[in-house]
Amino acid sequence: MNMIVFLLFSGLVFAETSATDERVVGVFYMKPLLGHVHQSAVKESASLTTIQCAHPVKVIETSRVQTDPLWAYVEVADHRGFILKDYLSEKRPDCFQARYPKFYDSLNLDLAELYYWGRLYDHYVQGHTRVH
Amino acid sequence: MITMFKVTLASISLILGTAALAAPQKLQEEKELELVDFKSVKKVLQKDGLSQSVKLKEKKVEAMKKEQSVVEKSRFTYPTQDELWGFVSEYWLVKNAQLLQWDFQKPDYGLEKSFASILEGMGFYQKKFKILLLNNPSMVRAGLPGSDGEVILLLSVPFIRSLDLSKLEISLLLLEDFFRLEQGYFKKAVETEKLRTLPGTNFHGGKPDQSMVQELMTKYDKQINETGFTFQQQFETTKKMDSFLKSNPELWNSYFHLLGKIDRMVKTNHQYKDYVRLYPSPEMQVKWLSPPEKVL
Repeated sequence: MNMIVFLLFSGLVFAETSATDERVVGVFYMKPLLGHVHQSAVKESASLTTIQCAHPVKVIETSRVQTDPLWAYVEVADHRGFILKDYLSEKRPDCFQARYPKFYDSLNLDLAELYYWGRLYDHYVQGHTRVH
Repeated sequence: MITMFKVTLASISLILGTAALAAPQKLQEEKELELVDFKSVKKVLQKDGLSQSVKLKEKKVEAMKKEQSVVEKSRFTYPTQDELWGFVSEYWLVKNAQLLQWDFQKPDYGLEKSFASILEGMGFYQKKFKILLLNNPSMVRAGLPGSDGEVILLLSVPFIRSLDLSKLEISLLLLEDFFRLEQGYFKKAVETEKLRTLPGTNFHGGKPDQSMVQELMTKYDKQINETGFTFQQQFETTKKMDSFLKSNPELWNSYFHLLGKIDRMVKTNHQYKDYVRLYPSPEMQVKWLSPPEKVL
């Protein structure tokens, strides 16, 4: 009997820990024109969903998911995955789609194009030279 | 006499009664309005500044309406030319994703650091670049204009492997393409009349001219896959590389040997037969760099 009570109690303690351990760091916004929520913290990993510039994403911190320092663990709609931190902004960015909505809409990008445009930013090797 | 008086009184009361019936009866609201005679309180309202606040409100609404119409109109604007270059270049990469095969797991050559260090060594500061590695042997290299002074450089991984290029050699190839973009060869070759006139203008009430983007796409295809660069442009690029690398003999030698390697490969490997047509020609580039032979 004592054993059962102990097991029940320890189970409750564990549930409590796992529930409170998760923390929402904040709501951030997607910076590039299009991007992906990745299955794992690897640029080439599968895409869970494609999101547009200025789409809000919830950044989560939890001990259950160890992330690379360059990546953020995020929640977008029903998906939980990874986005490069460089692609997230604290403030709502000034997006091309928002500046030129009619021009952008007129291109009628299909699903494959939206997918590849998001992938493009994952595949770029980006760099810059210093300020003199 | 008394009878006469009675008749007169009756007729007067009859007249009065008819007059009372003829006068229109006022509605309750009208009566209330009469009670609150605005004309009589106009001065009081003016003193309170109420009519002024109404005027201010009207002005505010008018300004808001104007602002709203400006915002609505701005939604129908073409991007600026600078923004269009970057957008169209990326659109071309997206449209040709399957052909170019850039969506693959690629080796990490550490190019962001090595290329940035070469550019800085040449004195190019505050320059932004994007490098996209391709898994396509026939599409060897290209430089596309980006927005905000950025450049997009494409390079084939099978080409890098065929020549067994070092990080330094890859960066030198990228530097050549960077110089071509700086010279504006690509933009001059693909620019259209619509790209000169439409960017930044408004098409409110109509549809955007989609042929502007389509024309650019066709010109991108032609320039990258068919036309390439002229001998004159290649000569200028090679001479520019020569003058920039001269101060660093190690880099200059690497570049000279790199051109020799490319020359040998394009002559022997059938897969790269188109390279000479697009980038004429490694053999001539070596010649342009070689010191003049002394005639005895």
